Amino acid sequence: MVQINFALREVNCKIVYYGPGMSGKTTNLEIVHKKAPEANKGELTSIATEGDRTLFFDFMPLDLGTIAGMRTRFQLYTVPGQVYYNSTRKLVLQGVDGIVFVADSSEAKMEENLESLENLKNNLAEYGKDIREIPLVLQWNKRDLPDALTVEQLNERMNHWGCPYFEAVAISGEGVFPTLKCLSGMVLETLNRDHRETTAATSSARQTIAASAGAATGTAVASSTAGTKMSGSVSNPAIRTGSTLDQMMSNSPAPKTAAPRSAAPKSAAPAPKTSSPAPSPASAAAKPAAGNQTGKGWQQPRKVDATPLEQTIRARPQTAGGPRQVQIAEKKSFPWIAVGLAGLIAVAAAVVLVYTGIVELPF
Amino acid sequence: MDNQQLRENRLVFYQDLVRDVNRLLREFLKLSNAKCAMLVDREGHMVTRQGVTRDLDVDTISALVAGSFAATREMARVLGEDEFSVLFHQGKTDNIQLSLVGDRTLLTVIFDEATTVGMVRLYAAETTKRLTELFEKQDREIRAGTKKQEDLDGDFADNAKGKLDDLFG
Repeated sequence: MVQINFALREVNCKIVYYGPGMSGKTTNLEIVHKKAPEANKGELTSIATEGDRTLFFDFMPLDLGTIAGMRTRFQLYTVPGQVYYNSTRKLVLQGVDGIVFVADSSEAKMEENLESLENLKNNLAEYGKDIREIPLVLQWNKRDLPDALTVEQLNERMNHWGCPYFEAVAISGEGVFPTLKCLSGMVLETLNRDHRETTAATSSARQTIAASAGAATGTAVASSTAGTKMSGSVSNPAIRTGSTLDQMMSNSPAPKTAAPRSAAPKSAAPAPKTSSPAPSPASAAAKPAAGNQTGKGWQQPRKVDATPLEQTIRARPQTAGGPRQVQIAEKKSFPWIAVGLAGLIAVAAAVVLVYTGIVELPF
Repeated sequence: MDNQQLRENRLVFYQDLVRDVNRLLREFLKLSNAKCAMLVDREGHMVTRQGVTRDLDVDTISALVAGSFAATREMARVLGEDEFSVLFHQGKTDNIQLSLVGDRTLLTVIFDEATTVGMVRLYAAETTKRLTELFEKQDREIRAGTKKQEDLDGDFADNAKGKLDDLFG
């Protein structure tokens, strides 16, 4: 899960390379580490066996730089691919923000690819995540193998959700950066959308609270002061977020995210008859571009909340504002209790005075 | 995931909260005489740190701490325990103690022979308790909508595209 740290002015995202054993996950990370500018990368740490098979995970931090005043960083992890290590694989997947699924293009490895993809789906489900909702990019690795399946075959058998995909020969570095760039963009876009949605929900709730407070106060005191209270509420910082709401309306992310992930294969899937069985490096480079017809270099998240933002915002205040309304009601009833208590005390005092003879009744 | 869940689950650390956390960590270091204290979230991202951390690769330590704790939690589960809330790694000179704070963060303390494991454990327990209370207070405020929340800039995603182009070409 993305960590947003306003104290350190940092945004941290977790990206995991997933896939069957020996498909090239660690190689991807090694290439990123080798080619990334010195200033942007941290140490590459591997917890591996003596035979260099990943035992727990490989890890490296990648610094994207300062974006809108926030230092944005990706923590890149790989998982152990071997079936035996599922428990540790699942641990690495905890809190993941985006996944690169590295598949071996070899026909002989198809079963392992499918098994690993199914395993990913199940492990995500255990964390309450849906594989269709999390940013996911498929990488068809080892395109240089003689028995490599065609991209159409790989998409047909594995890309059930219309994910962006990239051809790669990770060992030579080909396709590694485009894959990561695409996923990084999807993760940041998702972060931007989610953060704005939750902020909108909260500010919407605050507005409801402020309005309720004003209305409640208006019934409890003279109506002339109710107006003052309302204007007091308007000057409340909570209403500052009203401008955020307006800003959101004008910058509504809905059209941006309207292109579902399924748009990628439609535009990217090459016609089977015309496709070459052994893709050249040039075609490998061209595919990602074809899959990103927007020309922005990366795809939008596949899961799209097509509900107009306006509706979403309007739907939320009632639930979010509930608890505050209860508090206001309690405050309003307080003076009546005080008056009642005062009356009781007065009656008790009168009884005592009469009983002790200090005050005599005229009858 | 609906927005209520998003609000409760996402890991956002606001300035006032981290200021209070830092104050508690400084008090802890003074009392326990440990070298440094870090708060790390369960995904392995550092939240804040106090003390001498100059020579430390805090990113790597944070990732390993989270991985270590996650593995230990799994061990606990296999043994039928809820979790092991404290971990201790002993070295020749430096030692690390990890304590679970609430269900989202880990208090990581690095200390040497200038103090003892007993002192660290004693004050870490109290600090953990107070940190948990801080996080619970923030969660309550967020749920009630009374927390003044900071926002990412509206052009965050657009700026990000430029940075991605710079880095990845």
